[in-house]
Amino acid sequence: MFRETAIKEIEAIREQYPTARAALLPAIYVAQREFGWLSPEAYESVSSVLGVPRATVRGVATFYAMYKHRPMGRHLVQLCTNVSCMILGAEKLVDFLKNRYGLEAGGMSSDGRFSLVIMECIGACGTAPAMLVNNDFYENLTEKYIEEILEKYR
Amino acid sequence: MERVLLKNIENPESADINEYKKAGGYKGLPKALGMQPREIIDEVKKAGLRGRGGAGFPVAMKWTFASADPKFPKYLLCNADEGEPGTFKDRPILEKNPHILIEGMAISGYALGAEYGYVYLRGEYPGAKDVLNRAIAQAYEQGFLGDNIGGKGVRFHLAVHQGAGAYICGEETALIESLEGDKGQPRIKPPFPVNVGVFSKPTVVNNVETLSNLPYLIEIGGEAYSKIGSPDCPGPKIYCVSGHVERPGVYELPMGTSLKDIIYDHCGGMKAGRKLKAVIPGGISTPVLPPDKIDCPMDFVNMPKHGSMLGSGAVIVMDESVCLVKVCFRALKFFEHESCGKCTPCREGTGWLRKILGRIEHGEGVDGDIELLLSVAGNILGKTFCPLGDGAASVVQNFIKHFRPEFEEHIRAGKCMVNG
Amino acid sequence: MITVTINGKEIKLEKAVTVLEAARSAGIKIPTLCWHEQLEKYGGCRLCLVEVEKMPRLQTACTLMVADGMIIRTETDTIAEVRRGVLEFLLINHPLDCPYCDKAGECELQDLVEKYGLTKGRFREQKRKVPEALEDPVLVRNMERCIVCTRCVRMCEGVQGASAISVINRGGHSHIEPFSGGRFDCEYCGNCVSVCPVGAIMSRLHRHSYRPWQLGSETKTVCPYCGVGCTVVVQVRDDIIKRVVPKLGTVVNNGLLCSRGRFGYEFVGNKERLTTPLIRKNGLLEPSTWEEAIRLIASRLSEIKDKHGSNAIAGIASPRCTNEDNYVFQKFMRVAVGTNNIDSTARTGFAGAQGFIENIFGQGATGNIISGLANSDAVFVIGGDPTTINPILGLQIRACSRRGGNILTVGHMKGLRYYTPLELRPSVNTEIALLEGIVSALMKKKGPPGSHPVLEARLKDLNAQEADLPRICGIQGKDFSRFIDTLAEAATPSFVIGKDMIQSKGGSYGLFLVSAINYIVNGRIYLLSERANEQGLLDMGCAPDLFPGYRPITYPEFRKRYENAWKTGLPDKPGLTIFEMMEAAKAGALKCIYVMGENPVFNLPHTKDVEAGLKNLSFLVVQDIFLTETAKMADVVLPALSWAEKDGTFTNMERRIQLVKKAVHREGMEDWKILSEISSNMGVRMNYSDAEEIFGEICRVSPLHRDLNYEEIEKGDAIYPYKGEPLRGSTDEIHIEKSAGREERGKLYLRVERPLFHSGTLSRKAPALVNICPEAVARISPATAAALSLKDGDIVRASSKTGALELPVAVDEAIDDSAVMLSNNFQGKGAFSLMEYEIDPVTKAPCLDSNQIILEKVNR
Ligand SMILES: Cc1cc2nc3c(=O)[nH]c(=O)nc-3n(C[C@H](O)[C@H](O)[C@H](O)COP(=O)(O)O)c2cc1C
Ligand code: SF4
Ligand code: SF4
Ligand code: SF4
Ligand code: SF4
Ligand code: FES
Repeated sequence: MFRETAIKEIEAIREQYPTARAALLPAIYVAQREFGWLSPEAYESVSSVLGVPRATVRGVATFYAMYKHRPMGRHLVQLCTNVSCMILGAEKLVDFLKNRYGLEAGGMSSDGRFSLVIMECIGACGTAPAMLVNNDFYENLTEKYIEEILEKYR
Repeated sequence: MERVLLKNIENPESADINEYKKAGGYKGLPKALGMQPREIIDEVKKAGLRGRGGAGFPVAMKWTFASADPKFPKYLLCNADEGEPGTFKDRPILEKNPHILIEGMAISGYALGAEYGYVYLRGEYPGAKDVLNRAIAQAYEQGFLGDNIGGKGVRFHLAVHQGAGAYICGEETALIESLEGDKGQPRIKPPFPVNVGVFSKPTVVNNVETLSNLPYLIEIGGEAYSKIGSPDCPGPKIYCVSGHVERPGVYELPMGTSLKDIIYDHCGGMKAGRKLKAVIPGGISTPVLPPDKIDCPMDFVNMPKHGSMLGSGAVIVMDESVCLVKVCFRALKFFEHESCGKCTPCREGTGWLRKILGRIEHGEGVDGDIELLLSVAGNILGKTFCPLGDGAASVVQNFIKHFRPEFEEHIRAGKCMVNG
Repeated sequence: MITVTINGKEIKLEKAVTVLEAARSAGIKIPTLCWHEQLEKYGGCRLCLVEVEKMPRLQTACTLMVADGMIIRTETDTIAEVRRGVLEFLLINHPLDCPYCDKAGECELQDLVEKYGLTKGRFREQKRKVPEALEDPVLVRNMERCIVCTRCVRMCEGVQGASAISVINRGGHSHIEPFSGGRFDCEYCGNCVSVCPVGAIMSRLHRHSYRPWQLGSETKTVCPYCGVGCTVVVQVRDDIIKRVVPKLGTVVNNGLLCSRGRFGYEFVGNKERLTTPLIRKNGLLEPSTWEEAIRLIASRLSEIKDKHGSNAIAGIASPRCTNEDNYVFQKFMRVAVGTNNIDSTARTGFAGAQGFIENIFGQGATGNIISGLANSDAVFVIGGDPTTINPILGLQIRACSRRGGNILTVGHMKGLRYYTPLELRPSVNTEIALLEGIVSALMKKKGPPGSHPVLEARLKDLNAQEADLPRICGIQGKDFSRFIDTLAEAATPSFVIGKDMIQSKGGSYGLFLVSAINYIVNGRIYLLSERANEQGLLDMGCAPDLFPGYRPITYPEFRKRYENAWKTGLPDKPGLTIFEMMEAAKAGALKCIYVMGENPVFNLPHTKDVEAGLKNLSFLVVQDIFLTETAKMADVVLPALSWAEKDGTFTNMERRIQLVKKAVHREGMEDWKILSEISSNMGVRMNYSDAEEIFGEICRVSPLHRDLNYEEIEKGDAIYPYKGEPLRGSTDEIHIEKSAGREERGKLYLRVERPLFHSGTLSRKAPALVNICPEAVARISPATAAALSLKDGDIVRASSKTGALELPVAVDEAIDDSAVMLSNNFQGKGAFSLMEYEIDPVTKAPCLDSNQIILEKVNR
């Protein structure tokens, strides 16, 4: 079950909507943060706080690409490979992440430091190729630049 | 032209309410509050403002429907899902000029009689979420949001709702489903959101850029606004250009600026002087254009006449180094990934198209594959529940239409002409 | 009036409907897959695309509403081509394993492909591979066959209201999963199976043992389990029941079933069924012939009658047997034996409560139409969770909520938790105080209606402590106010009363208070009924004080009528209730009990006492389909035919009489037939040729069944009273016995769990239900678990004054902190074995709520 603070947080979010159900997406974000990923316990917790059936919670959660359905590394690397990034070399960067950090698309590095998710467009096409590390945008990427960036995330 | 929507964004503090006010912000709202809601809608009508989310629907018309519905409360939703690949025009507003959006929403809410608003923000913009939340808090503090806006007893409450990675949530009924805590799958229309929208109440969904036009529109009046850019769909427009140009980025220009000028004037032409091969003018769902078809005004009315669409105004420029089979393949991978799965042709067809394209791209194409692609695309087009599936089909059709030899060569040679 | 033209045919419509509905009304078939008449519109499969003039795109007939002047074409070459295209999409990932699929022959996809033809061989890619999911004991999922029409999910969410399955992932990865991904752990109604158009969710019962077209005989009959009385269709191959399915359009359950009704049928073919009569010889039950057994019973009964008088004999009737069986049973007892000692387990609550409520509001007061619940604007629930006791009735409450009605519960009802109930959960032993508070608050708010002086007089001395309620009952003042406001505003409220209310100390007073609330807000009452023919058995006069049709035996003119009809004199003193029978047996006054289709050793509280009583008898006859706990004690055991093997009628809780029909053949005799044989052997001839003839007699003697016959029943709404005499009005006296429970806070009390998957001792002979819910568990709240350092699955010794059991615990948030819930279904592990009772002086029902229980962890 959630910690008391998380329950409070969800209850506060719930106040922003006329129905409890509408708080589902944000509550799943909270659960993901609290449990690290959407474990069965995470779903059960959301279900019991919002009174939404647990299968429904899971069904909704699995619809969205940004919810994590397996344990994740400490830092989340989200690299865009959509057309604008692709034509400016994003695919090479995918290879680079694999060779340099052992990061496969959808996978986690063996030291648990990073998880990699290949993204559809992240809205940084003018400065492609681009990625998000956790909540931060990094743009005009090169292999060298990626190395520098990832140094900051231990 | 002086920038309106992206005014002041070089200022590192541009997202702060005081900077925004210093630069002339929060002038439209007080003026609007001095008008009758009906008058505001009339001004918007005079201005000829069209939605910037992609479809170019006349804003005043949508608003009139919603305000005429007697059900209460009404909702105003800002579509900040910006998922169309190649599009990054709303992000600078959200991250750097959030108050123009908030002011625009407060004006629109007043015009519609909507007391509640949500910004449906794509999950991929976590930074924008923080900026917006801070800006909303400031706007509450200074009385631009709340129960008594401008001391006139006008109510408008605003909150951010974060999406979680689903392109389809940009479609307005899917957005509503998602806001209600469900999967983002489009709803049956009618009823339309203006009558039965979020929480079953009358709802207007407008794009970030659309709503951000309101403060300026009200400030200068509909008449003056209608003189900007294309007479058929006037106003400032943010074009976002990516790919092989010298200066990619966002450009706020009068609506109707020609695609050619955008590429060759504003963006400094092709990168390293290489040769233009293809342009996707309005985001990946819009038909690709070959180099000889780019002399066209980028607006909702003229682009269809030139074989494409304005879409979100996301221009993707590709030079000779690009394999278009690969681009088409990548685009279909996108559609397959983003298909919500509700309807058969899109759910099954996008994957099938992607698989065929993948084979061709990887040198395993066989005779008849192009015809098969066209036939499968034909079985999708016009048969899907929402426009996403149509988009996927038309991408395939247009790439083949303009660049068929490249596909044929892939199949014949079993490899790529461009990248070997 | 709207006029549209479909395929050149002009169609006039009263109101706007979908194009699909318009077409159907004119007999034009448009192919569909995602559409289903029980479900919300979806528009996803795209099979129903049609051409509409002046519309640029093809339109889905299932979603488009007709407009005047619309011109529609549903079958053109273009459309056929489009449908072929859609079907091709559906088949590219389909395993095409029809020869191996149980659905083949009734698969909607297969039928459509047959109609529109196949586009072959264009898909050269790898098909989606998903192994068949066999983790669940009852349901199998084959996601390669799934066409993602979401009918199952819309059924489970929107109609069943269980929300146990959902579409997982999106796009081409979409598939259907229960929460766990493996076992369904759901309500197992199987309604998703009913609506799946293909073989993607199917029942595992009798898997691969039939083809739909081989199900030679189909029999429309009534579910044998609870008082809702759902229509079921029993499908049989070679005299083995292969499937039980619902039927669309039937009044009670319109295409829906619950787990018991759908999956509980296997007891019929169970190998443990009794096959021959058994006679106790030298202490052991030995097989015998029918002749010997019948002769023995007849002579022993006559002997006891001669020696000890008729009243030394008693009979227990069966709420699982038909009206005809029960009618003959009471006639046999009254005429051949000559006693009114006739009762049944309906005495444990239903009979007394119904009598009590009818006394206040008149006969038939509890016979309300189940589907009406969905149209109520508020439903007040007390005394048990209707979604498990009477599941299909429970669905109507969920539907009420979905339509905007308010659900008000006293106590926590787990099955309603997603229906935003306004819930008052009084602490132990304060329910009466709460009800008094509700009555007095409503009286203040609405004032006395003034139409029932007797009842209103009774409200004068109400001892309400409204202001103190939050403290007394441990509830929130604002919840109470909302509860009252909602109830007061309701225009069409309904009241649903379960047995827990009746079986509590002061139960009759509680019933009175609920009746008073019902009266003040002008509602209607539903009395939950756990057995299929509990109502019918009472109607048939299986009660110590009433003749068929509720004619009191003590009124000479009524007695006269029956004496004339049966051509014999009849005893004029009321007989013993089932509990009095046990007492009398223990005391030695009663010598013989004849039990038909009932298992008192298990189904009555205080097992030891019951056993002691029965042991003390000199002759015990049990007529049943299994060798039950009671049968094992009998001197003679007679094998009966089960519900699936005979004809007759059941009367459901709405008092709807419905036909039970023979679906499979089995050697043996119906209960009524056995009784007639014995009767004839005792010199009282009973010569019925079939059930219909018995029913004819019922209609002649019971004023409430007048002019009814099987044809009428078959035709439609045979709701009791059928063309009968006017209803008896309310009486001018209401007996109340105020008494309060003795429960103390801080102690644990045993409560009877009434689970969804079981029903008395019958369901434990149905392997599917046993697989779903295999064993008895003691349910406790998290707080209790914490206090006793127990966790899920720990084995405890549960002991009360009357006995002790060892069983696992389950921690369940739905349970009150003062309660331990235990069902009464599993052999040797029944809650009743740990319960003592007192009899409510008014309803004559046992009060079971004062049984303290102690849990101790057993270390193994
Ligand atoms: C598949 C699909 C994706 C869409 N994505 C977006 C989007 O990301 N942002 C947006 O503003 N509109 C998007 N739209 C358009 C919206 O449905 C809607 O028309 C728009 O938000 C209306 O706002 P506007 O009138 O201001 O343009 C999308 C439409 C479709 C069919
Ligand atoms: S076309 Fe169909 S499957 Fe595709 S996104 Fe729209 S509704 Fe979903
Ligand atoms: S059996 Fe009933 S409860 Fe279980 S998944 Fe199917 S519809 Fe839902
Ligand atoms: S399992 Fe059956 S009902 Fe459910 S979505 Fe698949 S095909 Fe439709
Ligand atoms: S609700 Fe009752 S009658 Fe209906 S199927 Fe279930 S057990 Fe049978
Ligand atoms: S039946 Fe109409 S779309 Fe499926």
